[in-house]
Formats: sequence, C-alpha cells, structure tokens
Amino acid sequence: MASAQSSSKNDGKAVTDSKQPEQPTEQKTVAALEEDDEFEDFPVDDWSAEDTEVANSGEGTQHLWEESWDDDDTSDDFSAQLKEELKKVESSKRR
Amino acid sequence: MPLLLDFLSSMRRFVLNQNGDELRNWLLIESGVPEIYFQLGRELRTGYLNSDVLEKLVDKCLPEEDNVADGKGSPWPGFNSFIKEYLEYWRDVNFTDIVALHSRISALLISCANALANPTYGNMLLQASMSISESLSKLVMSLTRQPHLLARIQGDASGDEAGERKSIVELAADIIQKIFTSCLTDRSSNRWSQPKGKKVAVYLFANLTLKLLFACDKSRLAVQMFTNLSTSGPALSLYPASQRVTFLYYLGRFNFDHCHYLRAHLSFEEAYQQCPPRFQGHRRRILAYWLPSNLLLGRFPSRALLQRPEARGFAEIFLPICAAVRSGNFVAFHGALAQSRDWLWAKGLYLALLYRLKPLIWRSFTRKTFLLTWQGSENDASKKAASLSLHDLVTTASYVQKLLEGYVPAKPAPRARPPHINHIFMRAVTNSAAESESDSLLAPPPGGPRRLMPAEGLILGNKRPTLDNMEAVVAGLVYSGLLNGFMARQQKRFAVEGTKKYGGNAVAAGWPNPYSGIMDRYKEEYDDAVASYSSGEPVDPPGELDDVPGWVKNP
Repeated sequence: MASAQSSSKNDGKAVTDSKQPEQPTEQKTVAALEEDDEFEDFPVDDWSAEDTEVANSGEGTQHLWEESWDDDDTSDDFSAQLKEELKKVESSKRR
Repeated sequence: MPLLLDFLSSMRRFVLNQNGDELRNWLLIESGVPEIYFQLGRELRTGYLNSDVLEKLVDKCLPEEDNVADGKGSPWPGFNSFIKEYLEYWRDVNFTDIVALHSRISALLISCANALANPTYGNMLLQASMSISESLSKLVMSLTRQPHLLARIQGDASGDEAGERKSIVELAADIIQKIFTSCLTDRSSNRWSQPKGKKVAVYLFANLTLKLLFACDKSRLAVQMFTNLSTSGPALSLYPASQRVTFLYYLGRFNFDHCHYLRAHLSFEEAYQQCPPRFQGHRRRILAYWLPSNLLLGRFPSRALLQRPEARGFAEIFLPICAAVRSGNFVAFHGALAQSRDWLWAKGLYLALLYRLKPLIWRSFTRKTFLLTWQGSENDASKKAASLSLHDLVTTASYVQKLLEGYVPAKPAPRARPPHINHIFMRAVTNSAAESESDSLLAPPPGGPRRLMPAEGLILGNKRPTLDNMEAVVAGLVYSGLLNGFMARQQKRFAVEGTKKYGGNAVAAGWPNPYSGIMDRYKEEYDDAVASYSSGEPVDPPGELDDVPGWVKNP
C-alpha cells in the first residue's frame, strides 16, 4: 500500500480526478467540499519584516488617511436650497 | 486482507517514529483520493462489518510499546480508537449522502481530537487533525449554502431538547475549538517563549475556526476564543507572518461586526502593514474593511491610498459616500449607498454604514446650517456667544426630509400634466398636505410622498423632524464628542463653547475635527476605566488604550 500511495501522491491530481470509474456520482460531492475563497490561505507560511511596506518605505500609515475634511463651501446647490428654504420659512413666520 | 494489514503496519511505523506529516498524508478523508482508499473500503466491507472484530485487529496491530526510546512514540488507546473510527469511515462512507457524510466526519474529528489530547504523544496528530478540521469546515460552509440539505441535517439532530439544538456551524466550531483548547493548554512552552508541542498550532486552529464562523455569519461565537486567548494565549508575534495576518484580519472583522471601530482599525492596520504588497488579494480584502472602519472613525481615504492597486474600484464606491458625509447631504448619502448596495451588502458593510455614518452626516449638516444662519462675525464673538437655533435646524431638516420623500419644487416650470393624473386627484393630494407645506419651497410629488423605510428617513421613516428630535440629535452629537458646546434649552439653541480658544472661529470651536473628537471620547472612556480600577472597584484591569482583546502582545 505504501508504494501505491506514494506513487499516486506524486502523480498529483491526474490520478485522483480522472480514474474513478466505479464512483460515477462523485462529481456532485466534490462540489460540496469545494473551498470557499473568503480570506485565502497564504501561499507561503512566513516572511521577514523586510518584505513589508513599512520596512521598505519607512513610513507609517498616516498618509493613507485624511483627518481634516470640512466643507466650508456654502455656494453649492444644496446649501443654496437650504438658504432659500430658511428665508421662506422665516418670512412666512413674520406674516 | 493485504491492504488493511499493510495500512495498519504503516500506521504503527509512523507512530513509532512520531511522523506527523506521514500520518496526515495517509489519513485522507475527501472523495478525491487515490483509488486505493476505495479498495480499502471494499476490503473492510468484506471482512470487517463487525466493529468489535475490527477493534480487536487494530489493537493487535498497534500494541502499546513498553520501552519507548527518547524521540520515539507508541500507540495509545485514544489513537487506536481514532484509527478504528477512521477505518469504519472508509468502510461505510457514501459521498453522495451528504447528511451521513457530515455526521461521519464530525465523529471522526471528535475521535481525532480525543487522541490529540494525549499529553505524551498527541502532538503527532496535529497535522492530521488540521487536515480533517479543514475538510469538515469546507463541508459545513458548503452545506450552509444549500438550505435543503441543511434542513435534513438539522431535522436529523435528535436527542437535543427543543430550543437547545446547536447549528451545524456551531457544532463544527465546537469540535475545532476543542482542538484549539488542547493546543492552548499545552504546557511544553509558556506564553512568551518560542512555541513548542501543540502550542505551535494555536493560531492555525484559531484561524480555521474564525474562517468557518465568518463564512457562516456566526462571528459572535468567536467571543469565547478571544477571551481564552486574552487570558492564556501565547504572544501573536511568536507565530509565522501568514498566521498573524490572517488572525488580525478576522480580529478586525469581529470588532467591526461588533461596532468597535477603533479596535477594528488597529487590527486591520497591523494586518495590512504586515502583509507584503505582493499579496494584493489579501491586502484588498483587509482594505475592504479597514477603509470603512476609518470612515466610521471620521477619517477619509487619501488619494494615495485609493490609487494603490489593491484599492482598484474602491474610489467609485467610497468617494461618493465621503462627499455626502463631508457636505452633510443625506439625499446624496442614500444615493451613494444605493449605487453600491450589492457590493456593500455582500461584504456586510451596508447596514453599518447606513446606521453608523449618520452621526457624522448630522455633524456636517448642523455645521452647514450654522454656517448658513449664524450672523455673528469673528470680531463680535465676545459680545454674543455663537449658537445654532434649533428652530432653524427643524427648517433645514424638514426640507431634507421632504427631499427624501420625493417632494418637488413648489412652483415648477409649467409642463404637461402626466395623462394619468386628473384635476380631482390633484386637489385631493393638495388638500391632504399639511397647511404648513405652503411655507416651503417644496410641494408633495404627484401621487403623494414616498413611503420611507425606517432607516431611510431622517428620524424614522416618514416622521417629520420636530424641535424635540433636533434637541435629541444635537445632544447626541455633543455626547459623542462631535460637537463642542451645550444646549440652551430655554432659548432652544445649541451654544458653542470655546470660541475664544479658536481665535474667535466659532465653527472650528463648535465642530471640532471629527477624528480627534471620536478619539478623545475613546480616551475619556479609557481614563474612566483606569480611575474605576485604581479606586479599587471590582472591574477588570483596563490595560492600554490600544489593546484589542484577543490580540496577545509581548509584555
């Protein structure tokens, strides 16, 4: 068994995929065991810190984010509409 | 019985040599294996339908060794039970009967976990238990997408009392976590030294469990595992980079799902930084959650970030959302979410953004209303405290609510009336509108206002914003650190504080930087926790502000 096992292992998928004549229903079940591709396993187990971006660029991640994003522009359409509405409601209150 | 005896004698050889790799290579269970396994099954069906006879054969071929030399191993009772169960599996397996297959693999993994628990020799089954755990979780993930089969399995789970029945995801996660616990409690090495024995596999099994739980939308079940890691887990930094990055990705997802966006950000940041650029697919998956985590903390992605290869397509999704938040435009916000709804929904981001970004949009919206209404200037700041009228806020919010309901300009340019709308209908619609509608620039749309889902409206569905609502919204913003000031309830105004400190700039004083405001609030909560702990209250030590439970760092 040992020799049969190791030789078929070395052959890889060709053996397992094609030569199963007495298992005609197997195709259906292979689908049931298929891998979900969410966060895939990495192709390598480990890598050194030098491979990472921080090591190469010497930068942190600060430049990736904008903290200051206020919009002081009140000349856009939306602001103009709000301004008109405020005026209209205000004047109707005075009536 | 040449195959069976050959198989058992090889098992004995592997055990004596403690060869975990070969045990894994041989103890295969999936359908795509070499024909020889099916041959073994046929042999077992011919001569060993009786499990007692099979058990005797296994014990005979795998006797416990008396004198075991250093570095060598011996079969143990748990191992023999597992091998018997394994042979029964190949004797009885029917890959077309998924229900039976599921219970067979579950039983086999339990048996493997029991054998693994042996403190002396259990180690050598680490690789095999990993491989069987992977097969079980693949099967379970696939089953959860096939409701008709799932119903058969869950209907089949007998013996449990009603209401206490666990889902197949939970059952599988329980078994894999049992192996995780075996690894965690291994005493070959301590928490802070190079892992030895079963401890080397702690994060492999943690990641496998997390992958299963997330694929099946059951992330909340991971709480116990993170607690166990915090209490006695080995430092993450002692493990290979692939395991660290995978673990931090799931830890981030867990915290995102539980609305702890600072912890989510910290986990994703570390995962992203430790993941080399050549793994673009992995970085993209991390970024898909890291980016929204930052959005919810009040930080937008920079152009530099959105131009990275792993961010391809993200600008189209997130920039319209950022623009809407920045300008306080609820109508644009709902439009931006609707535009990317499918992608956001599939990633599990849609509801988080829909509900949790609203405070930031309210912040921009109240700021905009202030900019449009506040008459004071920088020079007279000392004479008159800057404030926002809640009445004005009701006006602007009502206007936006009407836009959301599909209202149209009250005096539209003359155009032909659609043929299906007659004048009687128009009169009916006009009469049903509230009297105050005539004071607005907007009028109800032909056919009446849109009926909004609860989350689609400013307050709740079609409910019109009132003075009380606006007071509650502003108070909430002050409490979350997004607004700086207090409520002058008599005057129905929000009064800005600290204008002088900002050189008379009332907008900068009243609407501080959102990211800083949110971080200050986290810091205050943390300081409170430290104070409670220091005063002797029976609470857990708070650790550091940037601690993430489950992420074990070197002391």
